[in-house]
Amino acid sequence: MTHEPFDTLAATYALGALDGDERAQFERHLAGGCDVCEETLRESAEALAALARAEPRAIPPPEVKDALLRRIAATTSPRLERPQPRRLVWAVATLAAMIVGAAFTGTFVASRYEGRLGQMAREAAALRARVQQDEAALREQIAVYQAAVDLLRDPTTRVVTLHGLGPSPEATGRVIWHPVSGGHVFVANLPAVPAGSAYELWTIGDGAPQPAGLFRVDASGRGTHRIAAVQGGKPVKVFAVTIEPEAGVPAPTGPMVLASK
Amino acid sequence: MATAGADLIRQMAAGDRQAFALFYDRHAPVVFPLILRIVRERADASDVLQEVFWEAWRDAEGYDPSRGSPEAWMITRARTRAIDRVRATRRRSQTFVAPLDEAMAAAPADPAGAAAEQAADRGTIRSALGRLPEAQREVIELAYYAGLTQTEIADRIKQPLGTVKTRIRLGLERLRDVVKTSP
Repeated sequence: MTHEPFDTLAATYALGALDGDERAQFERHLAGGCDVCEETLRESAEALAALARAEPRAIPPPEVKDALLRRIAATTSPRLERPQPRRLVWAVATLAAMIVGAAFTGTFVASRYEGRLGQMAREAAALRARVQQDEAALREQIAVYQAAVDLLRDPTTRVVTLHGLGPSPEATGRVIWHPVSGGHVFVANLPAVPAGSAYELWTIGDGAPQPAGLFRVDASGRGTHRIAAVQGGKPVKVFAVTIEPEAGVPAPTGPMVLASK
Repeated sequence: MATAGADLIRQMAAGDRQAFALFYDRHAPVVFPLILRIVRERADASDVLQEVFWEAWRDAEGYDPSRGSPEAWMITRARTRAIDRVRATRRRSQTFVAPLDEAMAAAPADPAGAAAEQAADRGTIRSALGRLPEAQREVIELAYYAGLTQTEIADRIKQPLGTVKTRIRLGLERLRDVVKTSP
């Protein structure tokens, strides 16, 4: 078999007009490797390209290029991420500088924050202590109110009003008093006592005033104090408050600031 | 020129979008008229143009310079895709191929007189096709622009298949000679 039939097949194939069995036959021939046919196909393609080039030019719609560039940008950007060697060196150098920088910064930040954290821990501990104190004070106060309320439920409990005297006429007070259980005193509008002094409460029945405890007031002039029952259950006729040395005294010596009638 | 074109395709294969833009600017003005001549609808031609260049971007790595110039690479693709489009449309509409003279009329006219004023190689090629014996020119145009196979051409022009083959071979030989002798 000469090559001549393939020349015709190649020309028809180049035009895209080869069909049927002949097309399959020619493709097998090509696959087997034929420089002559390859050459014919290449020259035919160039000749047909030249034919197209000879066509009058027509400007393609500009939106086609725009659409293509968008499509490419949307789907193939990773292919662009291949770094040039020079850029790679820079990238490595920059990365190294960043790591060293981060190490320094990290140490510096750590030392700074260590101090800061220590301070915060101390502050937190102080706050916790204060809260515990406040909580204890509140519990104490609640216990006082609870006791007062318990006393008030008892019909034998009396409420005695105290009036301001002498240096503090605006001072007021109440004593909730039970003959057997004792009671509580609540005062208001009392000025703070001078340093080294305290208010001392007295119970007065038949005879000399009996000391009934020491107390102080807060910044708003309020104070409370638990009063122990009088020994022997003797009746109390008068409650009085005087200013005394902070250690307390067995008999009143200072000015009287509150008293019941 | 050819080397520069091959370089562009290599850059495209490496993902260079700028190379693609240059490649498009260089080849689209040649490829688009061919597509338009084959599919004849401007909207269809735009679609085909986009597909052809998209495939070129996608398949850039597969380009082998030893098998043809970038221009031939693109024109072969464009012609194939355009014919695919025409055949699909023809199947959908169930109509037979439009009369050849109608197809020629729809194509941008370039009468022989105007061709003489074109650049030298362009005039040579067009006149090469025009100078072919009418019988050879006809079969080449039916195959290349209308997308008919050799069997369809034989049916259409009512000639034996062997005659069609011979005309195709002789016509293409003549065209190849013209290209080879005009650098």
